[in-house]
Amino acid sequence: MPGKFGKPTDPDYETRLAEFEARIARGEKIEPGDWAPEEYRRQLVRMISQHAHSEVVGMLPEGAWITRAPSLKRKMILIAKVQDEAGHGQYLYHAAETLGVSREEMLEALLSGKAKYSSIFNYPTLTWADIGTIGWLVDGAAIKNQTMLAQCSYGPYSRAMVRICAEETFHHKQGKEMVIAYAKGTPKQRQMAQDAINRWWWPALMMLGPHDSDSPNTPTLVRWGIKTKTNDQVRQEFINEHAPEILEAGLTLPDPELRYDEATGNWIHGPINWDEFWAVVNGNGPMNKERLEARRKAHAEGAWVREALAAYAARKQQTAVAV
Amino acid sequence: MNEPVKQALIAKLTALADDELILAHRNSEWTGHGPILEEDIALANIAQDELGHASIWLNLRSALDGSDPDRLAFFRDALEFRNSELVELPRGDWAFTMLRQYLFDVYEALWLSAAKNSTYPPLAQAVAKILREERFHLQHTQAWVERLGQGTEESHRRMQEALDMQWGYVQQLFVPLADEHLLVAEGIVPDLAELKKAWLLHTTQHLQNSGLKLPLQMGYQPTTRETHTEHLWSLLAEMQSTARWDPEAKVW
Amino acid sequence: MDTQWPRWEVFKQDTPSKPHQAVGSVHAADPEHALLTARNVFARRPQAVSMWVAPASAIFSVTKEELAQRPTPNAEREARAAISEYLIFRKTSHKRSMTFVDYVGELEATSPEHALKLAQERFTDAEALAWWIVPASSVTKSEESPETVESWFAPAKDKTYKQQSYYGVVGSHASKFKRPKGDDDE
Repeated sequence: MPGKFGKPTDPDYETRLAEFEARIARGEKIEPGDWAPEEYRRQLVRMISQHAHSEVVGMLPEGAWITRAPSLKRKMILIAKVQDEAGHGQYLYHAAETLGVSREEMLEALLSGKAKYSSIFNYPTLTWADIGTIGWLVDGAAIKNQTMLAQCSYGPYSRAMVRICAEETFHHKQGKEMVIAYAKGTPKQRQMAQDAINRWWWPALMMLGPHDSDSPNTPTLVRWGIKTKTNDQVRQEFINEHAPEILEAGLTLPDPELRYDEATGNWIHGPINWDEFWAVVNGNGPMNKERLEARRKAHAEGAWVREALAAYAARKQQTAVAV
Repeated sequence: MNEPVKQALIAKLTALADDELILAHRNSEWTGHGPILEEDIALANIAQDELGHASIWLNLRSALDGSDPDRLAFFRDALEFRNSELVELPRGDWAFTMLRQYLFDVYEALWLSAAKNSTYPPLAQAVAKILREERFHLQHTQAWVERLGQGTEESHRRMQEALDMQWGYVQQLFVPLADEHLLVAEGIVPDLAELKKAWLLHTTQHLQNSGLKLPLQMGYQPTTRETHTEHLWSLLAEMQSTARWDPEAKVW
Repeated sequence: MDTQWPRWEVFKQDTPSKPHQAVGSVHAADPEHALLTARNVFARRPQAVSMWVAPASAIFSVTKEELAQRPTPNAEREARAAISEYLIFRKTSHKRSMTFVDYVGELEATSPEHALKLAQERFTDAEALAWWIVPASSVTKSEESPETVESWFAPAKDKTYKQQSYYGVVGSHASKFKRPKGDDDE
């Protein structure tokens, strides 16, 4: 059952808020039915549904290559990975549903263009090596976020994230293994891998969100145990892990300013082109229209199927009752 | 095993593998485009299982003739494939896919149950593994046929159209290969003619219970796995495109 | 408006010695379809030996905080009210987990509130942070036969390519690659 959500105008708001924040400080999980600020609910519905939409839309750039996977093993692995993404979307919609929003409503928001999803999926997958690169970089970035969110204060979201984290590690590993193998492979494979890294590196960095200075939601999310790290912190962790590994594989990164800083132990990166990020987020990226169109089409073409099963179920129930 | 029997077995394993491979490919085209999220997940499971089965059959063949499964899958031309025509037909709508899967699942479940006692141990072992996955597929697709057949007028119409289209094609599943009788005589594989009776009984009953009618006219019935529909060339052009793009590659 | 079908909560039992645990929900049209769907969504990986589903709308849920705010109404067993079976699930820890409530047992009661009261009296071995009270009549269970367990749950074990350990260990220490400040890239 969705809980009670308090507004600042409620007479008991301050007391309830203090107790709520104390619970979070004690490491308790907030469960459906518990009191929480309406703002907490609003932020979570936004975050969780966006996350869910991202998983579902994310099936498209990779799913497109299933029919062109170059080996039996890779084909099976890719189907499993895209299937997982559907599953992850499924777990996340469930978490959002516990906050009182229906899946019909969430899908309506996505398909009408009102809801956002991760901008990274608005880029095209141009070669087979994009598949490995997405696993390595995009899932690598996602894992950083997800690991943090697994500690989130809202029970259903935390549980969904723990399940997703456990499943996501193979996505990352299979991608990394693939790209490293191609970097050591034929000249064509090497070039294909390098080209993919060149195209996906910056979008992966941007995927971790705007700079902290441009992230108004972050302080509230941190206070309420939804986020424990800022975007820039997570981004730095991501670069520190992935930059040396990519270089180690014999590939280069499309950042002439990238360098390792002895003093901080961090890899310093060049400026991010945020204009590109905002263009893509606001619907003007290379694949925005196509992605949504594909989802709308699947949804529209599936309507008769959903109706048919609903009709069958209704009749069965009537028969049962009549008996 | 003498040479003619060995060659017959290689041919049979190839046919079994090609059915799974091509059907898996058609099913996998739905990933991300299914009618609801849960069904994307369900069909992706079936597709993965089928690819696993294709690998198993090709590995059994490899043990006999040293062939490379990936080489067979990604570098044979259309006319060298030995799948049935049913599986290469385009995926159509959800009714078409579910019906085809059901008709194929009944055939496969029956074939595997009979093949459990194969006198060729590697095949018997493979069968045990595949059969347990197949049992679930059949439960799933059987449920879908019933629901779509009886759901709404529209779902019923689409199912009937699919059945009218597929009924002639699906009979080919029971047409033996040229030298398959050698394998049957050795007890290596079951007799398709026997299985057909059980298959007809099971499917006719369920289709009728689902409100569907068998087509009065059978329509086209393929008689050999050595020819294909016009669809296979394009299917393979896509499926093999990355592998063929870099034939020198040793590792994918 | 479009229907995404009703929600069914899913309970999965990992091994015969563990209780059924709430793992999430699926959207499905009817009980048999819900069970098949639950298997597809939640048995992609080991472990599982049994699954139950129940419509989300049939579940009476209450948290420790809700009970503190408003204790269970006086739900005594009414003399002529119908008795039915209820399955009781409970959460006892705030620890990181991918499952919610665990099955603790069944009891007979005249209403979900009455069942809750009885559950609070019976299951006192640990503090309950949340309860789910589920009418037994609303639950659909997977078959217990070995054949079903073999075909529904065992195949996931063979899909080792879904485990990260299947992929070669390819990491290396970051300290291997440091560039002095100011150098150009190749």
